[in-house]
Amino acid sequence: MTELHEHHTAPARTGIRRLTGPGWLRVLWVTPIFFGIGVGLPVLIRWLAHWHPVWKGSVILTVELVTVPLGFLVGIGGFDYWAHYASGRPTVEDDHSSHGAKSWRDYFRVNTDHKVIGIQYVVTTIIFFCIGGLLAMLFRAELAQPGDQYFNPQTFNVLVSNHAALMIFLFVIPAFAGLGNYVIPLMLGAADMAFPRLNALSFWLLPMAGLMLVAGMVTPGGGPSAGWTCYAPLCSHQPLGQVFFNMGVQWAGASSIMTALNFLVTIITMRAPGMTFWRMPLLVWANFTTSLLVVIATPFIAGSQFFVMFDRVLHTHFFEPGGGGYVLGYQHIFWFYSHPAVYIMMLPGFGIISEVIAVMSRKPVFGYRLMALSLMAILVLGFSVWAHHMFVAGMAGWLRVPMMVTSMVIAVPTGIKIFSWLATMWEGRIHFTTPMLFALGFLSMFVIGGLSGIYLASVPIDIHASDTYFIVAHIHYVLFGGSVFTIFAGIYYWFPKMTGRMYDERLGKLHFWLTFIGFNLTFFPMHYIGLQGMPRRVADYAGRFADINLFISIASFGLGASTLVFLYNMAKSWKHGEPAGGNPWRALTLEWQVSSPPPIFNFDEIPQVVGHPYEYGVPGAKHAIFGAPKPEPVGTD
Amino acid sequence: MLRRVRRGSIFQLLGFAAIAAVITSLVAVLVPWLPNPASDEAKRIHFVYWFTTVICIGVFAAVAAVMTYSVIKFRARPDDDSDGAPIHGHTKLEIIWTAIPAVLVTAISIVSAIVLAQNSRTGSHPLVVKVVAVQFAWKFTYPNGKSYGYLTLPKGRHVKLDLTANDVIHSFWSPELSQKQDAVPGQHTSLVITPSRTGTFPVICTELCGLGHALMRSHVTIIPAAKFDTWMKAGGQAASGPPGLAVFQENGCGGCHTLKAAPGANGTIGPDLDKLKQEAARAHQPLAAFIKESILKPSAYIEPGYRDAMPPTLGASIPAGKLTQLVQYLEQSAK
Ligand code: HEC
Ligand SMILES: [Cu+2]
Ligand SMILES: [Cu+2]
Repeated sequence: MTELHEHHTAPARTGIRRLTGPGWLRVLWVTPIFFGIGVGLPVLIRWLAHWHPVWKGSVILTVELVTVPLGFLVGIGGFDYWAHYASGRPTVEDDHSSHGAKSWRDYFRVNTDHKVIGIQYVVTTIIFFCIGGLLAMLFRAELAQPGDQYFNPQTFNVLVSNHAALMIFLFVIPAFAGLGNYVIPLMLGAADMAFPRLNALSFWLLPMAGLMLVAGMVTPGGGPSAGWTCYAPLCSHQPLGQVFFNMGVQWAGASSIMTALNFLVTIITMRAPGMTFWRMPLLVWANFTTSLLVVIATPFIAGSQFFVMFDRVLHTHFFEPGGGGYVLGYQHIFWFYSHPAVYIMMLPGFGIISEVIAVMSRKPVFGYRLMALSLMAILVLGFSVWAHHMFVAGMAGWLRVPMMVTSMVIAVPTGIKIFSWLATMWEGRIHFTTPMLFALGFLSMFVIGGLSGIYLASVPIDIHASDTYFIVAHIHYVLFGGSVFTIFAGIYYWFPKMTGRMYDERLGKLHFWLTFIGFNLTFFPMHYIGLQGMPRRVADYAGRFADINLFISIASFGLGASTLVFLYNMAKSWKHGEPAGGNPWRALTLEWQVSSPPPIFNFDEIPQVVGHPYEYGVPGAKHAIFGAPKPEPVGTD
Repeated sequence: MLRRVRRGSIFQLLGFAAIAAVITSLVAVLVPWLPNPASDEAKRIHFVYWFTTVICIGVFAAVAAVMTYSVIKFRARPDDDSDGAPIHGHTKLEIIWTAIPAVLVTAISIVSAIVLAQNSRTGSHPLVVKVVAVQFAWKFTYPNGKSYGYLTLPKGRHVKLDLTANDVIHSFWSPELSQKQDAVPGQHTSLVITPSRTGTFPVICTELCGLGHALMRSHVTIIPAAKFDTWMKAGGQAASGPPGLAVFQENGCGGCHTLKAAPGANGTIGPDLDKLKQEAARAHQPLAAFIKESILKPSAYIEPGYRDAMPPTLGASIPAGKLTQLVQYLEQSAK
C-alpha cells in the first residue's frame, strides 16, 4: 500500500466489445436473460413436480427479485474481477481504469474509488430522500382533513409504509455509509477502503433495493401496506407488492452488511502509521461501532423478511397462528434488528457532530475517551432493549421491567455525549457556519427526542402512548431532528472537500432555519394529538383533531419546500461555488490536509500521525506530519 | 480572572435555566396534554407521566441554559482566527454527569415498575370480559354469555379484559382509560381496567390491521355498579327482545350501525339500518335478499358514501339458524 499507483484510463472499447464489456450496454442484454431464468426456473420446477398452477405470480415474482438484480449487477460489471479470478484464468494486474472519476459519466459506472462511491451514495440517497419526502407530503394532504379525500386506505397505507421504508433503508442508513465511505479512508490516512470492489458492489445494490421499493408501490393489485414494520401475520396476506418490500429490504440489508465489513477491516488494518485507536477521529470511532451493530444485527431483519416470504410463497407457518406459528416471534426478530437500527441511524451522526462542534468551536472534543467509550456502551446496551417496542404486544410480562431498565440506562451514555458536546462549546470561539447550525439544531432537537424516549421507556406511559402520534413525534425528533440534521451537517461540512468548492453560506443558513422551524411546527403538535388519542397509520380520524392536523399538514409542506433551497444550493455551488482550498475550516483531521478534492489515491505522501485529532488551542500541536523519515511499518500493511 | 468569569457566568446560567424551566413548565401545564382520566390505572399512569415530566423539565432547562449561554457568549467574529481554551476534559464533571442521569432514570424506572405492578392487579373478583377482535370490529362477551360490539363497564369494579384476535393483530385502547393491549391471534392477552368515572369514551384499534383499521372504532360506556348489575341480570336488555335482536347484539353490529330498536346501536361507520328499505330499493333488490347478501358478502354492494369496511368473515361465523333470525329481525324492524 505504500507505493503509489498510476492511474490509467480504460482504452475505449469498440465493436462487439462494447456489448461484452461491463457497462450499461451489457446490462441491456444480460438483465433480460436473468429475467428469463427467473421465470423459467420456478415454472420448470412446478411443471416437473406437477404443482398447479404451473404459472404462479407470487412465486415467479419472488424469484425474479433475486435474479433480475443479479442480472443487472453482472451486466454493469459488479462481479467481473471475481468471476475472472474464480474461473482460474491468470490474474490481470489491476490497471486502476475503474478508479476515480474523470467526468460525470464515471459516476454511472462500477467505480472502485471510495471518493466516487461516497458521492454516488450521497447523491442516490438524496434522490430517495426526496421521493420519501414527497410521499409524506401526499399523505399529509390526505390527513389535512378527516375522512377520505384523495386516497383510499390501501393507497394511504402504501404511502405511509414506503415513506418510512425509503427514509430508513434508502436514505438515513446509506447516507451515513456514503459520508463514511468518502471520509473514513481519508481520516485514516489510507489510499482507499480495504475492499474497493466489494465497496463498489455494495453501492450498486442500493439503487436496486430502492427501485424495488418504489416498484412495489405501483404493482398491479396493490403495494405493501402493512407499515414499514410489516408485522406478521398481516404482512403475509398483503397484495403482491409486499414481495417487493420483503426483497428490497434484503438487498438494502446486504448492501449495508458489506459496507460495514469493509469499514471494519479498513479501520482495523489500514490506519496510517501512528494512528492508534485513541488517536482516531470520533467519526471513525462512530462508524466502527455502527459497523459492528450492522454486522451483528442486520441478519436478523433478513431472517424476519425471509420467514415472511416463506410463509407466503412456500406456505410455511413461521408466523401463522393457524399452523402453530409464533406470531410474536416476528416482532422479537424484527426489533432485535430494528432497535439497534436506530443506533445504526444515529451513531454515525454522533461522529459527524463531534467533528463539526470541535472544529467550529476551535476546541478539543471534551472527554474524548469517554465519548468513544460511550459509543461502545451504546453498542452493547443497544442489544438489550429491543422489546421496549413490544410493551403492549402481549409478550412475556416479566420481560417488561428489565427491558425498561436497560432502555433507561442507555440514556446515560447518550447523556454523556450531549453534555460533552456542550462542554466542547464552552469557552470556545464558535463560528456559526451552516454545519454548526445543523449541529446545534441536532443537539436541541435530539434532547427533546431523547427525553420523549424516556417517557416511552417507562412501561406505564408507553402503554398509553404506544401506536399513537406521540410515537410518530418521538421518532421524527430522533431520526429527523437527530439523524437527518446530522446528515445535513455532514454534507455541508464535507461539501468543500468533495467538490473543491464552497457552498453558498447564505442559502445554507436559510435552509437551516426553514428546516428547523418547519420541522418543529410539523412534529411538535404530534405529541399532543397522540397523547389525546389519535392513533398512527390512519387515513381517517376523529373530527376533534381536524384543526391541528390541518396545521401540521401545512407546516409539513413548508418543511418539504425547504429541501428545494438545499438542492438549489448544492447544484449551484457544485458548478459555480468559490474554490474552497484544501482546508477551509482550519481543521486538523487528515482529510483536510490534502487538496480538495483529494488526489486520486488520497495521499501523495503517507502521513505520520503524531498526536490527537482535536488539539485546537494547543500551541504547536499536530495530528499528523508529512514528509517524515520513512516510518517503521505499524500493524498490518 | 477565571474565577470571576465563572462566578458571573454561573448567575447568568442560572438565569437562563430559570427562564427555560418556566417556559417549559408553562407549556407542560397550560396545554391539556392528557385526556381526563376515567380509570384508576389512567390516574396512576398520569402520575408517572408528571413525575417524568418534572425530571425532564429540569434536564431540558439545564441543557437549554448552557446552550443559550454558549451561543451568546462564545460567538466568534468571522475574522477571529483564534482558538478556544484547550480543555480536554474534567474527570469530576464527567463523573457527575454520568451519575446524575443514572440516578434520575433509576427513579423513573422504580416509579414505573411500581405503577405497572399496581396496574396489573385484578383484585380477587374481577369482572372478566372476553374480547375478540376481527377485521374490523370488536366483540365483547360477558360472563352471562351475551356479546356486544361495544363495552359497558361498572364504575369502581376491577375488570379484566381477556383478549384475542381471529385474523391479525389488533390493539385495544381507550385514551381516557389509558390502558392498552394488543389482541394477538392464537394467543390470549389480558388487561386490567378499574373505571373511575361514568360516561362514554371512544375505543379504538391502535395496531395497523388492514384497510379498515382507521374505522375499527367502538365505545365504552361506564355506568354505576348497581345499574350494571341490573343490566347484567337483564341479560343486557336484549333478552327481552326478539331472538334476532340478541344475534344483532352478540355480533357487535351496533358498533358500526345505528338501529333504533337495538339499545346502544349508534355506530356511524356503516349505514343506518333503520333506513334499510330505501337502501334495498336503491340497490334494486328485495329487502330480505339484500340484507342476507349484505351480511354474507358485504363487498357485493357498497352503499354509496360508505367504505367496504364491513368484516367479510362476520357473516360466515353466524350459524345458519341465527342468521335467519337476524335477517328476519332486520327486515321486521325496517318495515
Ligand atoms: C366494522 C364495522 C361494521 C360491522 C361490525 C358491521 N357492519 Fe354492516 N356495514 C358496514 C359498512 C361500512 C357497510 C357499508 C358498506 C357495504 O355496503 O358493504 C355495511 C353495510 C351493511 C348492510 C347493508 C346496508 C346498506 O345500506 O348497504 C347491512 C344490512 C349490514 N351492514 C348489516 C350488518 C349486520 C347485521 C352486522 C352484524 C352482524 C354488521 N352489519 C356489522 C360496517 C359494519
Ligand atoms: Cu427501540
Ligand atoms: Cu386496527
